[in-house]
Amino acid sequence: MNSLNTYLIISAFLFSIGLVGVLQRRNLIGMLISVELMLNGASLNFMAFNRFLAPEPVVGQVIALAIMGLAAAETAIGLSIILALYRKMHSINIEQAQRLKG
Amino acid sequence: MDAIFKDPVLLATVIGTSLPFLSMAVILCLTRHNPMLSSRISVTAIVVAAICALFNLAKVASASHAFRFDTAWMSSGNIHLTFGYYLDPLSALMLTIVAVVACLVQIYSLGYMSGDPGYSRYYAFMSLFAWAMMNMVIASTLIQLFIFWELVGLASYMLIGFYYEKFSASQAGKKAFVMTRVGDVGFFLGIIILTLGFGNLGIPDLNSAPGTGTLTTGFITMAAMLIFCGVVGKSAQFPLITWLPDAMEGPTPVSALLHSATMVAAGVYVFSRIFPFFAASPDAMLVALAIGTVTMLLASTMAMTTYDLKQVWAYSTVSQLGMMVMSLAAGGYFAGVFHLTTHAGFKALLFLCSGIFIHEFHTNDMRVIGKQGGRRQIIPMICITVGALALSGVPPFSGFFSKEAILAALNAQASPIWLFAGLFGAFLTAYYSFRLIFYLLFPKGGIEEKHAVHEMDSHGHKEEHHGGLFWAMAVPVMILACVTVVLGFTEHSLQGYIMAGGGAVKHASTQAAAGGEAHGGVVGHQLLVILGISAGLLGIILAWFEFGRKGASRNGFLSYFPPVWKLFDARWYMDAFFRWFLDTAIYSGLTNIFTRNDRRIIDGGIDGICFFTEAGGRIFSFMQSGMLQYNLLIMVLVAGLAMLFCLV
Amino acid sequence: MTSMEMAGFPILTAILMSTVLGLFSILLIPPERTKLVKQVSMFWATVGLILTLWLYFNFDHNKGGLQFVERVLWVKSLGIYWFHGVDGINMPMLLLTAVVLFTGVWTMWELEYRAKEFFALMFLLVAGVYGMFLSMDLFWMFVWYDVSLFPMYPLISIWGGTRKEYGAMKLTLYLLAGSALILPAIIYAWVQGGAVTFDLFELQRIGFSLYDQKILFVMLYLGFGILAAVWPFHTWSPVGHVAAPTAVSMIHAGVLMKLGAYGILRIGMTLCPQGLGYWSDLMALLACIGIVYGALVGLAQTDLKYVIGYSSVSHMGIVGLGLATMTVSGINGAVFQMFAHGVMTALFFSSVGYIYDKTHTKVIPELGGMSKTMPIASAFFIIAALAGIGVPLMASFWAELLVFIAAVQVFPVGGIFALVGLIISALFMLRVVQRTFYGEKNEKFAHLPDVSPFLAVPRIILIGVILFFGFFPKVMLDVIQSAVIPFVGSF
Repeated sequence: MNSLNTYLIISAFLFSIGLVGVLQRRNLIGMLISVELMLNGASLNFMAFNRFLAPEPVVGQVIALAIMGLAAAETAIGLSIILALYRKMHSINIEQAQRLKG
Repeated sequence: MDAIFKDPVLLATVIGTSLPFLSMAVILCLTRHNPMLSSRISVTAIVVAAICALFNLAKVASASHAFRFDTAWMSSGNIHLTFGYYLDPLSALMLTIVAVVACLVQIYSLGYMSGDPGYSRYYAFMSLFAWAMMNMVIASTLIQLFIFWELVGLASYMLIGFYYEKFSASQAGKKAFVMTRVGDVGFFLGIIILTLGFGNLGIPDLNSAPGTGTLTTGFITMAAMLIFCGVVGKSAQFPLITWLPDAMEGPTPVSALLHSATMVAAGVYVFSRIFPFFAASPDAMLVALAIGTVTMLLASTMAMTTYDLKQVWAYSTVSQLGMMVMSLAAGGYFAGVFHLTTHAGFKALLFLCSGIFIHEFHTNDMRVIGKQGGRRQIIPMICITVGALALSGVPPFSGFFSKEAILAALNAQASPIWLFAGLFGAFLTAYYSFRLIFYLLFPKGGIEEKHAVHEMDSHGHKEEHHGGLFWAMAVPVMILACVTVVLGFTEHSLQGYIMAGGGAVKHASTQAAAGGEAHGGVVGHQLLVILGISAGLLGIILAWFEFGRKGASRNGFLSYFPPVWKLFDARWYMDAFFRWFLDTAIYSGLTNIFTRNDRRIIDGGIDGICFFTEAGGRIFSFMQSGMLQYNLLIMVLVAGLAMLFCLV
Repeated sequence: MTSMEMAGFPILTAILMSTVLGLFSILLIPPERTKLVKQVSMFWATVGLILTLWLYFNFDHNKGGLQFVERVLWVKSLGIYWFHGVDGINMPMLLLTAVVLFTGVWTMWELEYRAKEFFALMFLLVAGVYGMFLSMDLFWMFVWYDVSLFPMYPLISIWGGTRKEYGAMKLTLYLLAGSALILPAIIYAWVQGGAVTFDLFELQRIGFSLYDQKILFVMLYLGFGILAAVWPFHTWSPVGHVAAPTAVSMIHAGVLMKLGAYGILRIGMTLCPQGLGYWSDLMALLACIGIVYGALVGLAQTDLKYVIGYSSVSHMGIVGLGLATMTVSGINGAVFQMFAHGVMTALFFSSVGYIYDKTHTKVIPELGGMSKTMPIASAFFIIAALAGIGVPLMASFWAELLVFIAAVQVFPVGGIFALVGLIISALFMLRVVQRTFYGEKNEKFAHLPDVSPFLAVPRIILIGVILFFGFFPKVMLDVIQSAVIPFVGSF
């Protein structure tokens, strides 16, 4: 049970859920949450590899921490963009944001 | 620089041949708005030039050698060109003819052109004309000759199109330039070939080249034929005849100069200039002979139908030039040069006389001038008759002697065709000249008195008003008439002078005539003189019978053959052919195709590329739905595929 | 060669800097003071002209070779040098540039609309031209070349005339397409030369294999050939000329087109003589077609500037033909023709520019009888037309003579074919002169003033140059051949 594969499967699962969420949700906040899931999947992956394959250097943990920071920053910027969009279109539905259509 | 002052001949040449240029420059730059001053400057320059030319003629005649001066002009690789003067008997004689005729014509123009708005411009271009021609005559190399040859063409373009507001005049100028250009390109190519194959364009070197045997006959023939193209263009030989009759659109004194001593004379002059070179190629000589003959006959027939005073003389110029070419091509070097000399005199005379009539009656139509009392203009009437007699080859006028010399040269040819053609040409010449004279003297139905009195009144009034101007026109005419009477008797001294230095020339002309001398000519010498005179007289008699005598029909025998009349009148449809060729082959042919090619294919192709680029962009922009998630989906799919690709 | 060579005062850099300084000093002037802008432009153009004349008189044609050399290593790792020098090939081009800039600025004296920007861009353009002519370093040559191309777009699209946006766009795209061929060629040459130097002469010493030369030459030929209006890449040239304002047409047709031919000669033929040998037949063929084709298409044009544009195509064909012969006379003639044609076209465009400024039309059927209205302006055009026909004692006659001598020697059929072009060029020039200047006085334009003496001066200078070198071709040819003879000897 406490093997690398378990963690990898879980992280892949998390990542896939996030991916499907990003691709399928029309709500911008939903998409943002899904991106968080994907990031968490990736973090878990790093941690797992760090734990089972390369215990000595703490690179995996450092990267996981960096991802957390990144996710926080991303959320902040993402939410502010969403707010700006909402002000402009009174909606956070992605289908409304099609100005760049060719 | 010092050399110029040490040698009087060189000094005279430099002064004589550069003054007209200076006068042109001064007139164009400074005195454009002062016509009187312009004309004085120009006339002074040309008088000085004429004096210098006479001085040179005397010097050359007394010296036993030719004068040659050269300085480097440019060099490029192994091509070295010099600028220089080459004064031998021929060029000194021609220089004198040019300077004297130009001088007389310019003095004449003081009267003829007075009051014209383009007076200064006229004198500027006349100076340019004289300058270019004089420099062409004494050029020491063929390339220098060609340069001034082109400038002669340029000056005549300017002068023929002098009345540029008239479409026909500017058209005639353009036609003259382009048609002579056709020949000049051949000349140019000939010079290039000589540069490449012989390397030395000095005229004396060229003339002695065939004797040294360094050149093959084929090469000489090719070069000679190409240079002859230039002669054909400039001297209005077949098939480039038609620009010359049109060239009378210019003021009459210009025609006088153009038809006698400059422009058209240039072609024949070049032929005689490198005569030994031509003579080394029998094939080229034969072609020249044939072209000269055809030209002479065609032009004579054209002259028989026109009523335009100047046009008759224009056609006669063409036919006389044809005769000179025939003579030279038949080996009659002296005869050709002599005819060039006498022709310069009497043709200038004829044109200047016609100019007085035209100035007086404001028309070119010989019938109208006759009706309005042309014969009452005593001085020009006598002078024009003298000129016509000379042209017809009646003794003792100058034309008789030179024509006899030409017939003698033709007589020496093996085939009798050339002689008979020459005689027939002489007959036609006399016929059309006196057709004109009788139209002037004995107009159909007499002079219209009422009209004439009116004209005389205004004329009398004019004479009081412009007395000096009338004499400015009359005096040159009288001088030329005297020259025409006297010049023929100088034949022997002139022959001695011309043939003196030219060993190569003598050799070449005997060589070219060798075919006939063996059998002693087609007819005997006595008979030839009789034939020559009688051909001329016969023409005059026929003209008298049809146009002169009382109760004559004044129609001419040609009017009984309307198609022939029409053929002659339309210049054997040569103009129509050129027109057709230009319109069909150039304008609506090549030009049109190429323009379309530019617009449709090249530009169309480029614009097409641009269009497809833009259209491609538009097509791809449809894929840009604006849905963020589609982009993401594609990204993921591509990334997945790439991963799969890496794994497999 | 040492990395540093400077002989006294860097005159060549000074010439180049005269335009750059001109550019900056114009930028400092407030835009509404147009008079001052023109005076300053005139000043710097005069400085350039004086320096160039000084250079011309001090150029020792007996010694030949590269003179007044300035060579400073600029970027060591790539081998880029600030390397200037003059020899017989670029000396006439420098003189041409100086004369055309000087007369061009003078011709535009009446310009009021956005004069500051106009003259600034013009100086930028000429800076590029000077730089390209002076540099002997491939990197800088390319930089200056592109510097000279870019200002054309704003100059045409802002101050232009007929279909200016289209013309500007077409010209720019064409020329950039040319650049797109030149840049890879230069980089290729740099790589093949060991990636150590952009110095033209060092690259020449290193030498390239035949295979490389073939590729390099055709890239350079097509790239520069577009600028030299080689058939069939010529259609930008008439359109661009028609659209451009007077001084820009003068500089463009007079000088910029020469950059193309100069590039072929200086880079293409210096680096790849064998490549030229391989492609010379193609070059001669395209040149001959260009000569005849340009003249024939010119016959059908109804716009004065189109006519001149096509005559340029024809005349640049003569340059190409001369280069393709690879003989002393041919290249002498080609360089001389570049010079002569530059001056002649400048005169053409400046006289047409005047007529257009006054009458606001350059359509031939609408004009007519201009000799009555503007005798002096007409005389300028007619003189230019005569020079275009190749009348002797005008500079272009000698050039044509030399080129045709060489062409008949090397390519007899092509040479004779091209000679026919001379007849057609006479026909089409005279046709234009007749339609535009002869004929009845055109009452519509009767009130218009003729060229004032002040504005006549630049045109008279151009005529003087044409006639001077027509009477004394030696002055120019000795300079040219001091470079060409060793150059041909090195093939």
